[in-house]
Amino acid sequence: MRLKQMAIIIGVLYGIMAILPVFVGDTRFIMNILVMCLIWAVVASCWDLIMGFAGIFSFGQVAFFVMGAYCSGILAIEHGVPPVFAIPLAGVFTGAMGVLVGLPCLRLAGPYVALVTFGVHMALQPVLRGKIGLAMGSGGSVGLLTIPPVNIFGYTFSSANMVPTFYLTLLLSLACVLVIMFVIKSYWGVAFLALKDSPDFAMSLGISAFKYKLMVFALTSFLTGIIGAYYGHFYGVLSFRMLDLDLFSILMVMMLVGGLGHFPGAVFGAFIVVAGSEMMAPLGAYRAVVMGALVVILVLVLPNGVMGLFTGKQDRAEAG
Amino acid sequence: MFSEDTILLFYEITDVIIAGLSTGSVYALMAVGMTLVYGVTKAFNFAYGDFFNMGGYLAWMIMFGLGLEFGGYPLVMILVLPILFIVGYALEKLLVAPLRKREDWENKVMMMTLGLALFLTSLYMVVFGVRMKSLPPILEGTLEVGQLVFAYQDIMIFVMSISSILALGWVLNNTRVGLAVRAVAQNPVGATIVGIPKEKIFATTFAISTVMVGFGGILLSQKWFINPNSGGIIMVKAWVVTALGGMGSIRGGLFAAFIIGMLEAFVGWFFGMSYSMIALFGLLLATLVFRPQGLMGKGE
Repeated sequence: MRLKQMAIIIGVLYGIMAILPVFVGDTRFIMNILVMCLIWAVVASCWDLIMGFAGIFSFGQVAFFVMGAYCSGILAIEHGVPPVFAIPLAGVFTGAMGVLVGLPCLRLAGPYVALVTFGVHMALQPVLRGKIGLAMGSGGSVGLLTIPPVNIFGYTFSSANMVPTFYLTLLLSLACVLVIMFVIKSYWGVAFLALKDSPDFAMSLGISAFKYKLMVFALTSFLTGIIGAYYGHFYGVLSFRMLDLDLFSILMVMMLVGGLGHFPGAVFGAFIVVAGSEMMAPLGAYRAVVMGALVVILVLVLPNGVMGLFTGKQDRAEAG
Repeated sequence: MFSEDTILLFYEITDVIIAGLSTGSVYALMAVGMTLVYGVTKAFNFAYGDFFNMGGYLAWMIMFGLGLEFGGYPLVMILVLPILFIVGYALEKLLVAPLRKREDWENKVMMMTLGLALFLTSLYMVVFGVRMKSLPPILEGTLEVGQLVFAYQDIMIFVMSISSILALGWVLNNTRVGLAVRAVAQNPVGATIVGIPKEKIFATTFAISTVMVGFGGILLSQKWFINPNSGGIIMVKAWVVTALGGMGSIRGGLFAAFIIGMLEAFVGWFFGMSYSMIALFGLLLATLVFRPQGLMGKGE
């Protein structure tokens, strides 16, 4: 897909989002869902960048999200850092963690990368609950309860004044998604694709696998950490329960609905799936069962997601 | 000669070692199943840990849900193991086989089985509830050698899992089916040319690994509890064992399983159970950095 088309799709999606508060601005419940749509869109896009474009099977995106949220929350509560500074700091921290996790992954083949990153996810929960986490201020099994909301020049963006907060989220989310879009369409993105499709040939052209894979780890974990930190300040409470697998599965469904490696698809998928999952709320505990089954069915039936349906012909034409 | 405390400490450590040996033997069982399925079909199964729980839950259902408690473990084994085999075979045919024809199918299989894992985990939670279930010990009583006390249960678990690994090894090395499985693992195309039904072997291997991990579930659920949420952790553990031992090496898997069983038992005893996952992960990272092919694996 060309840059122009990507930009148009993203523009239309975010344009619709920007108009929606005019109609539903009074309903807190729906505004909350819209904010969640915008936040998950970034996480899903980051995941799509690392998995669909760079071909690195990272299952640690949720862990980076939680790391960012906790880091910023701890900075704000324990050390009194204003959220506006705590959020970028959390992004830098998760970016560094991403590099740390990425380093051992560079030498490994597919399933091992998935294992290491999934291991980070698995090991994070005992760390946050245990004595190490308590010493850092993670609140142990209670979690963080009193994270201050974002405050810019004395104006507080919290769920009390929903509409301005929504637009702040929209700006942040759009900025992150645009960064991802430009990365995909830049020299970087082409290098990622080359490395994924034919590593040996790409390296013979002088593309450094080491450099680019580490960069994609750093970039995706940085963006995920930032949006995670923002989520913490928006929501006000954090718990290690976020590391349970249902959030993981919902994110996966978002990517699969949109189409893995069909970039704006992840944004589209996030919007649809967050709304759809709210509609499935009456199912209660069965919702997770449905989500799991949905992943299986989507992989089998719709391998390229919704975007794949539209772009399938065109991609083939470009290739041929 | 020794002070009271030293002797007590000695007994405590013996207990830890026994616990490490019995869990380690079940880990070996799971790792062998995983090595087998990965080596032959190249499909990575993220729902592996949930089949572990499936074994435990099926056993629980037969004993308490259906009220067939009188049959004890022999009846459970007779009923559960074939069920697991059929489930594994059917899942391979229905879900994995169609993906095999696509490009990039290994990654698709990983995502699909992750979905399957979430499906099974949440299904267990809905059907059996969040509360953990427990199974009675396979054999009551203890064996006392001097002052040392061994539970029959631990001995039984150890013997049963090691003997089933040996049985699998015998089948792989001495029967026609085993020969076919090894042929497919070495060269799928060559195996097809000489008339080995490749698809059937893939499905059979998948089913065998399901049976092995489910059997491990029945054995180990007597000592732990059956927790609907534990599938992911168990899968990671089985994988750490496999990676440490070396992909495709059954002997390496055996050593690695006991190393990890011991590590876990000692870390759990010394620092508390929640740290064992961190220790495990540290060990995995160290292995992958210094010896990516595992202890006994052949380099690629």
